[in-house]
Amino acid sequence: MTRRLSLRQLGTTALLLLGAGLSTVALAHNPMCECKEIDNGQIRCTGGFSDGSGAPGVTLDVIGYDETILVPGKLGEDSTLTFKKPASEFYVLFDAGPGHVVEIDQADIQAP
Amino acid sequence: MNKAATVTPPSKPTPSKLSRLWYKWRFHINILLLLIPLGFMPKYFSDMALFRGDSGLGQRDIGEVQVGPWSIHLAEFRSNAPMLDGASGYMKTFNAALCTECADRVKATYLRIGKPRSLRAAGVIFFGSPYRMGAFMQIPERTDPDADLWITMEGWDGSMHQASIPLSQASPATVAWLKTQGVKP
Repeated sequence: MTRRLSLRQLGTTALLLLGAGLSTVALAHNPMCECKEIDNGQIRCTGGFSDGSGAPGVTLDVIGYDETILVPGKLGEDSTLTFKKPASEFYVLFDAGPGHVVEIDQADIQAP
Repeated sequence: MNKAATVTPPSKPTPSKLSRLWYKWRFHINILLLLIPLGFMPKYFSDMALFRGDSGLGQRDIGEVQVGPWSIHLAEFRSNAPMLDGASGYMKTFNAALCTECADRVKATYLRIGKPRSLRAAGVIFFGSPYRMGAFMQIPERTDPDADLWITMEGWDGSMHQASIPLSQASPATVAWLKTQGVKP
């Protein structure tokens, strides 16, 4: 009897945990991007979404303050893009579609 | 020679105090369990009215904002501070309704804290029907409390119109929350 009860309790707990785990799948996923300065004046940006998924092939442009595109790029298979730091003022735009963008100003890019 | 076998019946274990309490009150306890959800009913019905739109666009009405030739009615979905949403950071939802005469002329509406650099970087997009749209925006903890909330509307004719309102007007709860965050690098 006790064994049957404990098995039932275990089953209920497992079901609750499974439900709680699956419920996070229904949450919205927002675009995320992080840029860091690495050696030799290079900047590496990593894109993705808040649900943990990567963003291979998503557009990431480096744009000057005068709105000229300095580096047109797409994230690689590892969801990263490395580019040479432009001499002029710039910002990075991770563009996963209209309204799904992340802007990173040059001032917000961490130095090595 | 008779061997009188004395067989003692197996003694029943005496039930514990907890077990006796359970068997005595289990019916009443189960009735109480059924009553617990009733306590959550008012919140449930108020949330349902909010989600369906029966109680308006949101918990706090911001009002009508003129954006070029068009106008948009804005509301805070919930009138509280931004809520932490996992890896996304702190999030805030604004709801909006387009003016009836411009509902079929506006292609997209965007929301951003601070003036957008371009249409491409106009911020988060409002999704949903023109009469009840929602925008789910990230609020960085180091946002300036004196910043403005910019609305960008893009027409099907290619035109673009912008307007702004102070963040303190759009969401006093967000400004109060930002002031408690302090200066961050």
